[in-house]
Amino acid sequence: MGLNSCGVMTYKEYLQVLKEHSPYDFSDYSDNSIFRRIQKVMRDHQLSLEELCEKTQGNRYFVEEVVEAITVNTTELFRDPAVWKYLFEKHIPVYRGNNFINVWHAGCSTGQEVYSLLIIFSELGLLDKVRVFATDISQKALDIAKKGVYQHQIDRGCMDNFNTVFENHGSSSLSFSKYFDVDEKNDKISVKPFLKERIKFIRHDLVRNEMPFYNKVDIVFCRNVLIYFNVKLQNRIVQRFYDGLYNNGSLVLGAHEGLSGFFKTKFERQGPIYRKSNTFHLRY
Amino acid sequence: MKLSDRKFKVVVIGGSAGSFSVVSKILSQLDPGFPLPLVLCLHRLKHVRSGLVEGLNMKSKIPVVEPYDKEKLRAGVAMLAPSNYHLFVEFDSTISLSTEDVHNHSRPSIDYAYSSAAYSFRDKTLGIILTGANKDGARGMKSICDKKGYTIVQEPASCDVDAMPQAALRLFEPDQILNPDEIVKALNSLVV
Repeated sequence: MGLNSCGVMTYKEYLQVLKEHSPYDFSDYSDNSIFRRIQKVMRDHQLSLEELCEKTQGNRYFVEEVVEAITVNTTELFRDPAVWKYLFEKHIPVYRGNNFINVWHAGCSTGQEVYSLLIIFSELGLLDKVRVFATDISQKALDIAKKGVYQHQIDRGCMDNFNTVFENHGSSSLSFSKYFDVDEKNDKISVKPFLKERIKFIRHDLVRNEMPFYNKVDIVFCRNVLIYFNVKLQNRIVQRFYDGLYNNGSLVLGAHEGLSGFFKTKFERQGPIYRKSNTFHLRY
Repeated sequence: MKLSDRKFKVVVIGGSAGSFSVVSKILSQLDPGFPLPLVLCLHRLKHVRSGLVEGLNMKSKIPVVEPYDKEKLRAGVAMLAPSNYHLFVEFDSTISLSTEDVHNHSRPSIDYAYSSAAYSFRDKTLGIILTGANKDGARGMKSICDKKGYTIVQEPASCDVDAMPQAALRLFEPDQILNPDEIVKALNSLVV
């Protein structure tokens, strides 16, 4: 294993070991965040970096555990309601004329935003046209996403988010229970099966270059995922999104994520959405 | 050593309950030529998403922005941790954001902002902890102290709620304990 001049292993060297002994490459993750998460793994397992390293080389199951621990899986229904409101009122209706609407939800985590999007399609009467490829690095997260059962949601403001998004929608007030079985006693909600039918969940590591499916897509959803990567890796992934999108297709990022230099000329900004464009844009 | 003899790369200010008026006061009295990047990490209500940056900008002598992920720190610009994101200061003087779990019931977590700055800029970090009702921030300030950065704790008697400064004082001995007027003076002494 690699040691630096002080004879002390650094977490960067650990990431190299992980890369060599597993399919996972975290070397282009944002420094601070990955460092702290590795520290947490060391604390939880009471291991030094050297011991962590050794265990990583010999134990495949442990590697999976480490990967689960250092990837971030927080998400919520309709996070940033203003973005969803825009999607519902202004953007998604654009696709009304399509026969199919293909969506790649990259880094879907436990799935709350996949279902948020499908609810929007459903309210617009477009549910039968949409096909979602929802991908994530974490098998555990995907398993939860597939189940669509969420604990401790009711008091978490997700109802408020839901109501904010649909506040101007029609005359009758839209009910949360159209899409979820709500178990208030146990503070649990379950997604109804008709939403789940539209989704294909695929395990996929965004760092790796191969695409997880063959279709071109109309919309790429990738919210609060790129923040964990450095700019070099971000750009590599945005290029892949660009290539995977139809012309005029849309990229939806997190509320505080933007495109760096070069890509600002390849996408046109419309509200919170970036649209793939063939014309050259200097700025937005 | 005098504060003004030290070379800093970033100033990180954290606060919770009662800190809006203190931060607003500091920003309103700051020398417009303030030469360093300023990071503000303030606890805010999750469902009050907007208004804070506008509120601070009204009186501030330097621009206050909510940064995008990987935005560069800029001298004389205050970057406010966006609602519902953790904020980290990275080695290359960029900001990175994260949505990972709440820490001390908080996102943004002040601990994370301080300790990331300490990790990236070590003794070139100036940390200031203000009034607040939570212990978030205390450990982060300690990590600035451990890395030989400069630490200022708001004088508990001048705080609306002194739990946060008190929690910090239990963990380490800061370079200075100052009231808001003195904090302004200290910051302005960094203007050459």
